[in-house]
Amino acid sequence: MANYHPTPEMLTDFSAGNLQLGHALCVSAHVEHCDECKTNLQRLNSIATNLFDGLEPASLPDTLKNAVFSKLDDEHIEEPVREKTVSSHIPRALQQFISESYETLSWKKVSSMIQQAHLSTDVSGSKISLMRIQAGGKVPMHTHSGEEYTLLLEGSFSDESGLYNVGDFLVRDERHKHRPVVTKDRECICLTVTDAPVTLTGFFTRWFNPLLRRGHFSH
Amino acid sequence: MVKTNSSLNKERNIRLKGLMASVSEQRDKQAFGELFNHFAPLLRSYSLAREPGSTLLADELAQEVLIKVWNKAHTYKPELAAVSTWVFTLARNSRIDHLRRSGRFSTDIDPTALFESIEDDGPDPFQMAQRQRVEERVHNGLKQLPIEQSQILAKVYLEGKSHQEAANELELPLGTVKSRVRLALQKLELFLKR
Ligand SMILES: [Zn+2]
Repeated sequence: MANYHPTPEMLTDFSAGNLQLGHALCVSAHVEHCDECKTNLQRLNSIATNLFDGLEPASLPDTLKNAVFSKLDDEHIEEPVREKTVSSHIPRALQQFISESYETLSWKKVSSMIQQAHLSTDVSGSKISLMRIQAGGKVPMHTHSGEEYTLLLEGSFSDESGLYNVGDFLVRDERHKHRPVVTKDRECICLTVTDAPVTLTGFFTRWFNPLLRRGHFSH
Repeated sequence: MVKTNSSLNKERNIRLKGLMASVSEQRDKQAFGELFNHFAPLLRSYSLAREPGSTLLADELAQEVLIKVWNKAHTYKPELAAVSTWVFTLARNSRIDHLRRSGRFSTDIDPTALFESIEDDGPDPFQMAQRQRVEERVHNGLKQLPIEQSQILAKVYLEGKSHQEAANELELPLGTVKSRVRLALQKLELFLKR
């Protein structure tokens, strides 16, 4: 069960459809396994519905009804009511990028401890990727520029503020200073979305820093 | 006896569900016509709230959503949500899709998958009763919110502004906008306590 959730404003923007899709992806992947956020979202939808119902009805052009009715008999492929697949532990929002397992992604080595798999880049330049860090992996103290969204998919890590487990949802920005450490028992896989302009000071992307590649890992 | 606003609301919801059932089970075009009459003006208004003056876009959105109502009627689950809720989600997804096609919203991410993956599994009777109470609370509570709170909710949900964009437009600090939304959510007793 997750302990760290998207903020109420973030859920509100999500339910209104206002989040950039990378952030929406993170929120969706968290909510799928979080009953609490699911209930909150469903309640937010009732705000949306009430506001929508209360709109001042706009006048219609005469042609609209005919235009719609003329298309009703068009053949369309009836979509089956989708059955939920329970076989995969990968959040369904991510299954559009990852079909079977995290193993099948093309992982690129970033350092001896870290691998990255690129999923998508937003028009805004924000980057969506998975990071995979070996058990016991550490990073030096660092800060952020821009926001970084992180969803823990497997394993756990900790920093000065707490211990994070599967399902935990974090947003880090320039106000945060921290030193994440992956727990020793197993590797950690995270979904991360980093804001543009891409900087090398993100929560996990900091690991790209050339200093780190030279092995200044543990201190 | 004077009917309360919320009992009128309930009656309307039941009527809309009946129309949906006729569309879904009998492909009843007359029932669909009534759904059209109810929703097309709202859908057009929803689109115009975000893009004032773009009447062609508004027609396009209304048309697209209503055709989906016809084609996807069998996927609507009356036990889970009011017809308006379902139509709103179709409209929101159609708006996102438009933003995506026009290049303003990026990427190869499929937005419908994001929302479909977190749909309800179907609540138990206890949850249903609770949900009914929440619906009524929201319906009645929204009208009693101070204008500065409901104004922001309308910007977020209807005009499609993020909290940041709403703050810019109202020339308010982001923190003020966020706290107004939180106050509104508190007043509606909407969020589960953490
Ligand atoms: Zn949550």
